[in-house]
Amino acid sequence: MKVIIVDDEPPARDRLRRLIEEIDGCECAGEAGNGSEAIALVTRETPDVVLMDIRMPGMDGVEAARHLSTLEQPPAVIFTTAYDEYALRAFEAHAAGYLLKPVRREKLTEALARAGRLTKPQLAAIAAGSNQRRRTHLSVRVRGELRLIPVEDIAYFLADQKYVTVRHRGGEELIEESLKSLEDEFQPDFVRIHRNALVATRHMAAIDRGEDGQYSVRMRDLPDVLQVSRRLASELLKRFRS
Amino acid sequence: MNGNGHSNATDGSARTQRFFLPDFCATRSVLAVVLISEIVAILLTLARQELEHGFWTDLARTSLFLLWIGLCSAAALCYTRARLARLPVAHASGLAITMLVAVALAISEATWWIGHYWFAGMQGGVASLFPVDHAGFLIRNLCIAFIVSALALRYFFVTSEWRRNVEMKAHSRIEALQARIRPHFLFNSMNTIAALTRTDPRLAEEAVEDLADLFRANLRETRNQIPLKEELEVARLYQRIEQLRLGKRLTVRWDLGSVPLDTLVPSLVVQPLLENAIYHGIEVLPDGGTVSVTGTHHADRIELRVANPVPATRAGGGAGAHSGNRIALDNIRERLELAYPGATRVQVSEENGEYVVTLTFPLRPAAEGDT
Repeated sequence: MKVIIVDDEPPARDRLRRLIEEIDGCECAGEAGNGSEAIALVTRETPDVVLMDIRMPGMDGVEAARHLSTLEQPPAVIFTTAYDEYALRAFEAHAAGYLLKPVRREKLTEALARAGRLTKPQLAAIAAGSNQRRRTHLSVRVRGELRLIPVEDIAYFLADQKYVTVRHRGGEELIEESLKSLEDEFQPDFVRIHRNALVATRHMAAIDRGEDGQYSVRMRDLPDVLQVSRRLASELLKRFRS
Repeated sequence: MNGNGHSNATDGSARTQRFFLPDFCATRSVLAVVLISEIVAILLTLARQELEHGFWTDLARTSLFLLWIGLCSAAALCYTRARLARLPVAHASGLAITMLVAVALAISEATWWIGHYWFAGMQGGVASLFPVDHAGFLIRNLCIAFIVSALALRYFFVTSEWRRNVEMKAHSRIEALQARIRPHFLFNSMNTIAALTRTDPRLAEEAVEDLADLFRANLRETRNQIPLKEELEVARLYQRIEQLRLGKRLTVRWDLGSVPLDTLVPSLVVQPLLENAIYHGIEVLPDGGTVSVTGTHHADRIELRVANPVPATRAGGGAGAHSGNRIALDNIRERLELAYPGATRVQVSEENGEYVVTLTFPLRPAAEGDT
């Protein structure tokens, strides 16, 4: 069984590695110090199980697990934590595997034997129950690999019939999420300017008024111009002025 | 009197609740007013040299008169309490006294007027119960009203201060218990020690010793004041343990310059600040950062400043994570305030991408003020 250890603290990683190497049939296929590193490592090593710390700088464990779950062959994830009331409640409620640090050898053996994949709804519920609800990245699968888009690089989301287009600094991508859930997650940094458009305020350059009284938004680093619906125009102007 | 340390944390309703005058709309307070009026009535009747109509009749008429004044005053205070509570204590007291004297004067005037016009021309009986000397009656009542209301306000102020002090002491004791070392820290340290026992037993041993000392310091009675030097040592113990876990990610810069280290401070005022700075500032940064602890000393005041970098992700959304931080700050503010009433300040600011907490408190060398 290939196991990957994700934790931001070197002593914690050392200890888990040693424990894993002492279990028959288990090998440690690598270590990562935060969520984004973990995703890169997982796509390279395709482990069976990831031991994932929750509180890490940059991308935390719950978010990393969410991104991993979009892989075609996602690894099983076992969360590890020293103390986190919120997360534990969520794990209990959704039957996710977790270990408390310092991890006991028997508990680790048991958890590895039982480790299963987490489903997307399970992960979404855990993320909602944890104290950090907002992702730092969005992930899209490109030719079997996970590509991470930092949320601060995203200029806007545009909804089509079925998909949502993510326009970001490095291009554009399609994702299968609803504009409503994106709006809930990322407000107030993103504002709805139209039924089908959610725009990052930090990427907005100006609001123009056309001859017909129609407002439109110009973006900072992109040539794109987005229409503002009449219904949302006054609210947008109010926010933009303040 | 209320110190500055508290005023910035209060909102309107809390202020009204803490106002020194009781709520005169409540039946208990009305009962108190009736009792005070009766006591004054008895006092005045007893003090009178020659009783015009015998003790009981005199007491009855004085009581009636004073109850009118007392109950109208209670009504006036009940009505204006919320507004008075918003003023500084001195202004509120001045205004309340003026109001009470005005009520007493108005009722005196009304009494004289009723006696003069209603019973005009009558001799003896009810008419003789009313005052004759108009100006004298008003001036005497003005003086009595002033003295009695000033005494009553003083009494209310002292009892409320006393009650507040008792509450504050009890509260800060509970808060101190709650604010003791985060479970997060305890379990992470245990995990680090578990890892070190095999790779570096000596370091593990030291870590256990540090942890033991840190817990001893935490279990110390928090009301006690200790020399600043000891408090800084506790903070350094804490830093050493965190250093094992965070390695190069954590740098702490200590610069206490010329601060006299024998000055007394309540225990656990610096360590929790360092703990917050590491938890909210350093742990969330992938590459870590520097926490700086700076002390300066001007005349009889000491200023301690703990600064940590503000993580970019926190700047926008991510509120709520700071509630633990706020509890610790309130607790420190309260304990400093108890130790040095009115002479301390806890300030929080964000400058140049740094989150800064500044404590200001008076210099008090151990020799002078040792308790």
